[in-house]
Amino acid sequence: MMRLALPLLLAELAVITTGRLAAVELSMPDSKLPAIDVHGFLSQGLLDSSDYNYLGDSSHGSYKFTEAGLNASFNPFPRTRIAAQEFTYDVGPAGNYDVVLDYALVEYTFNDHLGIRAGRIRRPEGLYNDIQDVDLARTWVLLPQGMYNARWRDFYVSEDGAEIFGTFSLNQAGSLSYELYDGLQHPKLDGGLALQKANLPPFSKLTWINSPNLGGGQLWWNTPLEGLKAGLALNYDEGLTFINAAGRQSKGSPITQHYSLEYLRDSWTFQAEYLRFKINYLNTGGGLPASTKLIEPDTWYVSAAYRFNRWFEAGGYYTTYCADVNNRHGKGLQFPSDANQADTALSLRFDVTPWWIFKVEGHYIKGTAQLLDNAANPVRGNNGWSMLAVKTTLSF
Amino acid sequence: MIGLACAGLLAGTLRAALPDGAIVIANGSVPIASISAGALKDIYTGKTTYWQDGQSVVIAVSADTTDSSLKRVSGMDTSYFRTFWQRMVFSGRGHLPKKTDDAASLVDLVASTTGAIALVPASASLKGVKVLEVR
Repeated sequence: MMRLALPLLLAELAVITTGRLAAVELSMPDSKLPAIDVHGFLSQGLLDSSDYNYLGDSSHGSYKFTEAGLNASFNPFPRTRIAAQEFTYDVGPAGNYDVVLDYALVEYTFNDHLGIRAGRIRRPEGLYNDIQDVDLARTWVLLPQGMYNARWRDFYVSEDGAEIFGTFSLNQAGSLSYELYDGLQHPKLDGGLALQKANLPPFSKLTWINSPNLGGGQLWWNTPLEGLKAGLALNYDEGLTFINAAGRQSKGSPITQHYSLEYLRDSWTFQAEYLRFKINYLNTGGGLPASTKLIEPDTWYVSAAYRFNRWFEAGGYYTTYCADVNNRHGKGLQFPSDANQADTALSLRFDVTPWWIFKVEGHYIKGTAQLLDNAANPVRGNNGWSMLAVKTTLSF
Repeated sequence: MIGLACAGLLAGTLRAALPDGAIVIANGSVPIASISAGALKDIYTGKTTYWQDGQSVVIAVSADTTDSSLKRVSGMDTSYFRTFWQRMVFSGRGHLPKKTDDAASLVDLVASTTGAIALVPASASLKGVKVLEVR
């Protein structure tokens, strides 16, 4: 891991100290071949918490908080676009700098009302799912983690399949944009989802995960009120299956509902989202009787951010996550604090240059529902704790 | 004759759509002479990505593009506009607008880029581009 982390950090320092980044357009002189746009980003962060290890070994200050991406796109034919991105990340025990093909797609746009993308696509859900690793695209260092879990990227962001998309005018009522998709996910055994499952009783270390089919859609209503849009996302994950080291199989088909609101007014950005996830596992094998386990988390947040000028933005959010709406108070849990986690965040974003941003963010957290690493947090309670998050990103 | 036509379009644009003094210019290949405010917004918000003849829409911006003209056209200030398009690019959904340092180089870029469109100050020296009337 350090083999890659060190060059990434050095590259970032070199660019900061020696020069600037510029967008890259590859083209052959006097050629009729289309130009290729190349863009990339590199982020490095620090997480330092007063209690517990959250998203890594944060109680000792964790630099295992890195993201990098490099993409290229071009239009080979009219109405046709080809795009691909390589991506790597490391967030505590997840990611491990594995370089993955993040998206690789062919897109054909018939008109404003209908287009199609196929290949490995980024899955739209809510305001941030398809861009949750793009630090440039938000005020915050950490998105509300109950909704956009930084450790779930292997599972939740991309899938192999296709989507159709488009926009329809609703005349005086604004417009409606849609994306409808279907494809196969590829969760990894060392990914965030596997880590989460291994952390939960009655699961243990996983030895196998399937590639389930996930279908769904995202609708956005761009309302007649300038700057206000409302979104609804629904998806159905068919036959998500795990097998643990004891041979116990758990199979379920989660359904997700995700509601979003965003309002831009002058230099303000207001956002609010609610997500509810439901899965009923059927557990079989492993020498134990068959059983079922219903898990139904929900999470929401409200946020506000203000852009003072081109180089400074500040904002904050409040978010809560409940591990199971059927047991909001953690009845019967070894540590009742594992039932919920609330997080109040205050963020400062500095756009030092158009290609270099720096963020610093404070969190006050109550609850331990999202630590996801019980071995590193053997005793947990409902005391409040704090975390400092710092991050810098280069892009071109 | 062409100059007179351009001057007429320019004057109409100034009065009709962008009272802060910006005008809309496009590469000569762009197959329209005028555009509605709604269609212009669809371009700047990524809902329209191709011209009617299938060639790509290429948005070009410069540091001289004022917040007010961009805000009027897209509903977003400069910072949010940049963020919006970064989201599009890094999620595989679009091309980043091309950027120049000033209005003069922006006009040159639009003149040399098939399918390009841009907002420039009315005082900019226009050469090799056409002015789109905003209806």
